Amino acid sequence: MTVVASPSELSRRKRPYWTMARRDSLAGYVFVAPQAIGIAVFVLVPLLLVFWYSLHEWNVLAQTFRFKGLENYHRLLSDPGLPEVLIATAIFSIFLVVFNMSLALLLAVLLNQKLRGITVFRTLFFSPVVVSLVAWTIVWSFLLQNNGGLNGILDHFGIEGPNWLRHPTTAMIAVVVVQVFKNVGLNMILFLAALQGVPKELYEAARVDGIPAFRQFRRITLPMISPTVMLTSIITIVGSLQVFAQIAVLTQGGPGMSTTVLVYYLYQQAFEFHNFGYGATLSILLFVIVAALTFLQWQMRKRIVFYEN
Amino acid sequence: MKTDLSPRMKIALYGLMLILLVPFVFPTWWMVTSSVKPISDIFAFPPEIIPSRFDFSTYGQAFELQPFAKQYWNSAYIAAIVTGGTLIFSSMAGYAFARIDFPFANTLFMVVLIGLLIPSEVTIVPLFRLFLSWDMINTHWPLILVPVFGAPSVFATFIMRQFFIALPKELEEAARVDGLGRFKIFWTIALPLSKPALGAVAIFTFLHSWNLYLEPIVFLSSPEKFTLPQALTQFTDAYGGAMWNIQLAAATMTALPVLIVFVIAQRQFVEGLAHTGLKG
Amino acid sequence: MTRFTTIGATLAMTTALAGAVSAQELRMTIWSANEAHLTLFNDIADSFTATHPGVSITYESLPFSSYTTTLTTQIAGGNPPDLAWILERTAADFVNSGVLAPLNDGFMAADGFDYDDILAKPTELWRLDGELYAIPFSTSPLAIFANNDLIRAAGAPTPADLIAAGEWTWDNAIDVAAKVAAADSEGIIVRDFNFQTWQNLAAIWRGWDAAPWSADGATCTFDEPQMVDAMTFIHDAIFETGATPGPGESVDFFAGDAAMSITQISRASLLPTGDDAFDWDLVPLPTGQAGDYAVIGQAAIGAFQRGDNVDLAVAFLAHMTNPENSAKLAQFFPPVRASLLNAETLGATNPLLTSEMIDSVVVDGITRGEVLPVHEGYSEIQQVVRAELDSLWQPDADVAAVLSNVCQRIQPLL
Repeated sequence: MTVVASPSELSRRKRPYWTMARRDSLAGYVFVAPQAIGIAVFVLVPLLLVFWYSLHEWNVLAQTFRFKGLENYHRLLSDPGLPEVLIATAIFSIFLVVFNMSLALLLAVLLNQKLRGITVFRTLFFSPVVVSLVAWTIVWSFLLQNNGGLNGILDHFGIEGPNWLRHPTTAMIAVVVVQVFKNVGLNMILFLAALQGVPKELYEAARVDGIPAFRQFRRITLPMISPTVMLTSIITIVGSLQVFAQIAVLTQGGPGMSTTVLVYYLYQQAFEFHNFGYGATLSILLFVIVAALTFLQWQMRKRIVFYEN
Repeated sequence: MKTDLSPRMKIALYGLMLILLVPFVFPTWWMVTSSVKPISDIFAFPPEIIPSRFDFSTYGQAFELQPFAKQYWNSAYIAAIVTGGTLIFSSMAGYAFARIDFPFANTLFMVVLIGLLIPSEVTIVPLFRLFLSWDMINTHWPLILVPVFGAPSVFATFIMRQFFIALPKELEEAARVDGLGRFKIFWTIALPLSKPALGAVAIFTFLHSWNLYLEPIVFLSSPEKFTLPQALTQFTDAYGGAMWNIQLAAATMTALPVLIVFVIAQRQFVEGLAHTGLKG
Repeated sequence: MTRFTTIGATLAMTTALAGAVSAQELRMTIWSANEAHLTLFNDIADSFTATHPGVSITYESLPFSSYTTTLTTQIAGGNPPDLAWILERTAADFVNSGVLAPLNDGFMAADGFDYDDILAKPTELWRLDGELYAIPFSTSPLAIFANNDLIRAAGAPTPADLIAAGEWTWDNAIDVAAKVAAADSEGIIVRDFNFQTWQNLAAIWRGWDAAPWSADGATCTFDEPQMVDAMTFIHDAIFETGATPGPGESVDFFAGDAAMSITQISRASLLPTGDDAFDWDLVPLPTGQAGDYAVIGQAAIGAFQRGDNVDLAVAFLAHMTNPENSAKLAQFFPPVRASLLNAETLGATNPLLTSEMIDSVVVDGITRGEVLPVHEGYSEIQQVVRAELDSLWQPDADVAAVLSNVCQRIQPLL
């Protein structure tokens, strides 16, 4: 018991198996386990299964599940409806992102002014975000009827409004605009926070140099908030590819196929027409588009974002 | 940009904002007022801003046509569980990715981030078959499990991680020296400090679950299991004709409570969102 | 002796059934949530459970707009109902897929069912090689409701006047509608068409002898001259004369907004009473260019093969549609039984209708009516045609070109 231990022996004996680092590792795994396992089960496995199902046809009524090889992919290439769907998806997403981002920025700049009662305005602009999405869309579907509220208001000013939901162009405008008014409040708040984060000294300096307000905005504000713009635009674009309820309630993809975006088409094929295999094939197309867009934006981020904290 | 404005400029700005407000406020106003109009006045031309005749019977009818109270409960309890579950698991994962140094942390984080690339719309067909084989079709499980563990929770994890990264380390360091375990630190120090981020995540998650539409119509097939968004589109007579005023009454009942909560707590709402760490 | 064995057998069956409680629940999906309907259905269920102790029957109302999708989800989810209402347009999908139980033997064996009373023509759709897979409980002729107050106010002849004069043709009907429309109301509505459910237009185009596809369902016939003529007629009625409201306009005949409405007779229950009441009439569809015709909408009930109690389900279905209960159902749902198709029986349960209306519209319509369009894979064909037809509902549309596009698109699906 009185044997003097060598220094190395001492340290070995005194360091238990559960070192701080080991305990940390364990804690780390335990902390992320629910999320990581969840992603594996509810995202990664289904993703692999999408590929598998896209090679099959599943008849729900007759309960058959048959291997069909690449037949669904041939169908994808020869589907006469698909080009229209892709065009509608592209138009919808582009218009939505552009309109959403510019309106959000405009509102954020307005709300950033020193005005009495500005929080009331902020609350009102934000309020559609918390209104149930389907309720909001149903209301707009009334307002956009040919004899509905919007044309009633236009009539007041002597303007004969179009039959909004029955013409391809106006129907597309309608679904974009309804969606933007619903959700622009979120981006508006994020932009507002970013604007308020811009150091005031920068503007002071610019004013001393006599730089006009508009150039201050372009030279100082935009670069300073560009990381927020970048991130919200990624989220908005990916979000625009998931828009489903609004289309289902407002236009059911019509008139013609003019507002049939990819997600809606996918739903129709799989769950209304019961072409599950083809639906899975369309899912893969959707996945490729989302992944490509995200990758592209991540690349652009490096070039466009001026300032990152 | 915050400069004192001339009175003329102020009037111009107020005017601009008032005009811009119309499409944000009018639909909600119209929904609430029309829900108490007799059906013939809903399509009055030009539309009535303030109803001249009242008919409240639609509110009762909404409960007769569908098990609306049950559907309300379904939406509410699903949203509550999803929000609670997401808060717990995302803050844990977000904390670990931000603070704890463990092997393959970055790899795991990248794997989790893949979830952002794969919205549940992409995997809806296999999810349908998976839940089918687990006997969970026409139950609320898919509406709880997918948001809490699947793609929608990744965004929450990301927000939480960003927030924890920005949190000063010193407080935790002191506790670690005192020999506090990771879980204790997370629970007693980090989590209480992250209330703004938790608030933002709670709002996002609640609204996401509350608005879910594709998943319910895919997974649920009996009216007493339906959630509100799905139920709202189903106020039709036996031949598919829409029952407009009842639909509007139900829409109002769906929208108003959340709206009122928001108006009362709007400061926390908006400021919580502003703190999501989405600044880069 | 025989009597004893019967009682013994019944007892044995009862105990066997009572032993497996869960095996005795029957569920039927329906798309009506109407209280009067449900009360009647429950009465019929009670009269069945009275002789079948331990059996319980529930009706599950699913919303009409997503009925078939929801029903299919239940089937796919391994939770099919025991019995379900099926809409005529999806008849081919259900009958051909083999999910439905054959009914002939069960019906013939059922007491007092009187199988031979069932009309052959209106059940054709629900048969495969002579075997019945679902029985129509509602065979509803499409007819025209008219608001005579509006028509007279516009100075036009009422449908009854035209019928009396032997001039009840589509051209004259549209003239009447156009006159009323010019006088600040709306003319004629195809109810539930809404520029989406185009199959309801069959109520008009059958008068031109037009059909969406050939009888064997293999060839698209949207582009044939009869269809082009019929659709041109409809297009003119919308955009030239304004006789029928255009797309995106919500008009309700039963609120007194329009002169005429093409719909099923069961809608008579929507006619307003009291202050809002108007002088109405129910008349058959006018003569088209190809002569007299009738069109019916149908809904049938089938039993699912995969249910736990197929035989019990078929027995209940036989009970529900036997002569006695069919007569009760007839107040809402016109039957396919020869013995019930007369003004006496139907008049007793439909006090709103005169015997003349019943003879000219109901009896005549059911016996010779053509069912609305049906095809296998209907939901996809429906959507594709709907999408193509959208370009027809524009003032300057080229009818022939649009219809030939329709055929190009749906031919691969037929």
